[in-house]
Amino acid sequence: MEHIFSASERELPGMVVIDLQGEINAFADQELSAAYERAEGHATPTVVLNFKEVSYINSTGIALIVGLLARARKAGRRLAVYGLSDHYQEIFQITRLADFMNIYSDEASLVAELS
Amino acid sequence: MNTPDQDNANQKRSETAWAPPTARMKVGEMTGSARNINVDGRQPMSPLQGFGQMWQKTFKVRLSGVDKSAAEVMQIWKENFPKFQPPENRFYPSMAGIQPGEVLLIEAKVPPFAGLPSILPVVTGVMVLYADDTTFTVMTPEGHPEAGWNTFSVFEEDDVLVAQCQSLCRPNDPLYDFFNRFMGASSQQDKIWIHVLVSLADHFEVKGQVTTDKVLVDPKVQWSQAKNIWHNAAIRTMFYVLGTPLRWLRPKNRPSS
Repeated sequence: MEHIFSASERELPGMVVIDLQGEINAFADQELSAAYERAEGHATPTVVLNFKEVSYINSTGIALIVGLLARARKAGRRLAVYGLSDHYQEIFQITRLADFMNIYSDEASLVAELS
Repeated sequence: MNTPDQDNANQKRSETAWAPPTARMKVGEMTGSARNINVDGRQPMSPLQGFGQMWQKTFKVRLSGVDKSAAEVMQIWKENFPKFQPPENRFYPSMAGIQPGEVLLIEAKVPPFAGLPSILPVVTGVMVLYADDTTFTVMTPEGHPEAGWNTFSVFEEDDVLVAQCQSLCRPNDPLYDFFNRFMGASSQQDKIWIHVLVSLADHFEVKGQVTTDKVLVDPKVQWSQAKNIWHNAAIRTMFYVLGTPLRWLRPKNRPSS
């Protein structure tokens, strides 16, 4: 089975966006963690995860996101997300991640609110 | 970039694997005689909602020489999940088995102090949050000793099948946190997952050595969650047990509400 996942970051005013692509599962761990570490290098108060090109998230993938959220909270940063499908928005509700992060439908609405 | 067909296939795969949206746990028709006193109607808890420090603990066993696929091993693990538990930790799956959204009731006994025998009953449960061919994850309810998830998976590593239990949890309330830190409850919980993996390896006649890796994900204690103690399943089970004589005395012909 092929496990393709990539993550790259870019800076916007007041935030750094990590663009995620592929499946988020155990095999995404190192790549995701490395991207988050690079994002931490930008001195912005908000880190944003862009799920627009994410095709699948399993329960280990959700656990990885909890790990990022814990890191963000420890550093006093806000973690926001956008680009989740309706289905994964429901998953963020069930897993109660939604209680701890702001979910936006797209980048424009996120930028409008956070900039 | 995926084609629309691939997107639809992924969407279907995901919808089948994840529990349907639910704000509160609902106990279905159960196997065995488990008591459902601390689960029905409780909210599922993520590791973010608990009280104590958040730990990720990973227990692994290599199933060397097992000539089966990861999915076949997982199927056997799911079917025998209650059997692989230690005697003081009894799991009661629903009639549907380990399926997304289903609840497994648990009747456990815990030691009052580190090193003493397990005699204090705790009745609780977990909800299957996610299940696919090689992985399943259970999520704890309010009142459970831990807030969070346990993920059980089988995968290949260096051409050998590996079975793994990974928990991402924090103690649910101050009392559980105290027992974890000072009364050995945390190592008791570790022993349960080690027992499960050894039992699974035994099933395949493998003498497995379980490895353990612990990472402190969030050292912070969340005092805002101290209120979770209201649902503490250990306290509620104790009151339930103490109230047993009163329930015996209650008239049996009283109409149920």
